[in-house]
Amino acid sequence: MIELKNDSLVFTFPEVHPKAKLTIDFQRTLRIPDDGKDYPLPPGLGRFPVRHIDDFRANLPKQWERHGGVMLPMYQSEALWLNFSSDHIPGHGTDYPFAIKVATGKINAVTGDNWTDWLQGNPQDYMVAPDQPWLDGFSVEKGFIRQFVAMPLGSGYSAEEQLTGSGEFGGLQVMVYPMKRASFERLFPKQVYRRRLDDHVMYSLAEPCMDMGLAPGGRMRQEIYEDPYDMDDWEMGHKSRCFVHLANSLVWRAVTGDNPPTVPMTAREYADHGLPWFEYYTDGAGALDGSKKLNGLKSVTEKGIEKGDNPLPENASVFSDPVINLS
Amino acid sequence: MKNTFGQYIRDKRERLKAQDRSYSVRQVAMRMGVEPSYLSKIERGDLKAYLTEDKIRALAEDLGEDPDVLLALSGKISQDVQEIIRKRPLLFAQLIRELKDMPDHAVLRIVREVRDGDW
Repeated sequence: MIELKNDSLVFTFPEVHPKAKLTIDFQRTLRIPDDGKDYPLPPGLGRFPVRHIDDFRANLPKQWERHGGVMLPMYQSEALWLNFSSDHIPGHGTDYPFAIKVATGKINAVTGDNWTDWLQGNPQDYMVAPDQPWLDGFSVEKGFIRQFVAMPLGSGYSAEEQLTGSGEFGGLQVMVYPMKRASFERLFPKQVYRRRLDDHVMYSLAEPCMDMGLAPGGRMRQEIYEDPYDMDDWEMGHKSRCFVHLANSLVWRAVTGDNPPTVPMTAREYADHGLPWFEYYTDGAGALDGSKKLNGLKSVTEKGIEKGDNPLPENASVFSDPVINLS
Repeated sequence: MKNTFGQYIRDKRERLKAQDRSYSVRQVAMRMGVEPSYLSKIERGDLKAYLTEDKIRALAEDLGEDPDVLLALSGKISQDVQEIIRKRPLLFAQLIRELKDMPDHAVLRIVREVRDGDW
């Protein structure tokens, strides 16, 4: 089952293992420049607030109610990353392993394929926690992703719209499978923590469009790791999935009565303060090649040029230094 | 109740110790901050031996057990749950009695889940 606790989705599978618990939170972050350069990992700037759809159904589109799940507020051109953390199991020296599928607008963020309700091994369309501690964007090449950047659904920027020609779903979709209890006993992955920084107050430039989709932004060095286990190790009979709607921050207050978070600082402001960037590579784990489909998408900047728009103000290149290795 | 608690933690610790020598009475007691002889008394169900909630939580963490389970076995209810009950004692007493015979899956449905819809 999935519960919403402290702005995090908590997936538990007591029928598989009493301590099989995976927490996913959605981290605010700065948007890296979409300038053709490769950047290290940006910091986490705190969690996005997350709310049950059912608590605000009177103020939401019928489609959102039909999808169920939760919602969080994002400004246009704001970035986000997903933070995965599974519970450490004392005595076993490991965190409980999970297979995690992530899609945006029902486009798989690892393969670029349409959503399916099962795990696929070849090509691998999921990630494995705790080996994979986070996901910042679309897997476009071995060792590289394009950052998740929110754009209004219908504007043509999102991965979903570029691949399907329509913005029917938007949002994020997450599905989680636990490892079989019997398989768990012999596996010992390690856990790492990514540093988080305090929030900063900046500017806003969004338009009041309710529904947001995620588009490919700047390139970042991040590996999506191969599943080190057998497909048979995953407990296919038990899964939990959730639709995470992305509400434009400008309508968040009207819908929920709460103020959305302030806009995060720009990459330039972050770099000017000499704040750290991050890199993470895990020993021995193979990285997936990345999706040709996703690599063929136009980034937000490229799409903006094609449309004659300037969707990413504050897109100047920055010098990403210092870089802290988290491995 | 204390015999049940002592027997339970002893069985669990011994199982862990069979694979990892650091789960001896001495080392577990050191990690949770009590004298080894005191932990031995607890395991034997000595009625005079008593663990505070904090010590039970530390023991649960060390043995990989759920603290609420160990607290319940030792006849305790955690402070946060007590505070919740104190705010609406009649309501929660009635609720718990009603839940008494319900199967686990039905109890779990009372916990608020994120609803999955059609997509």
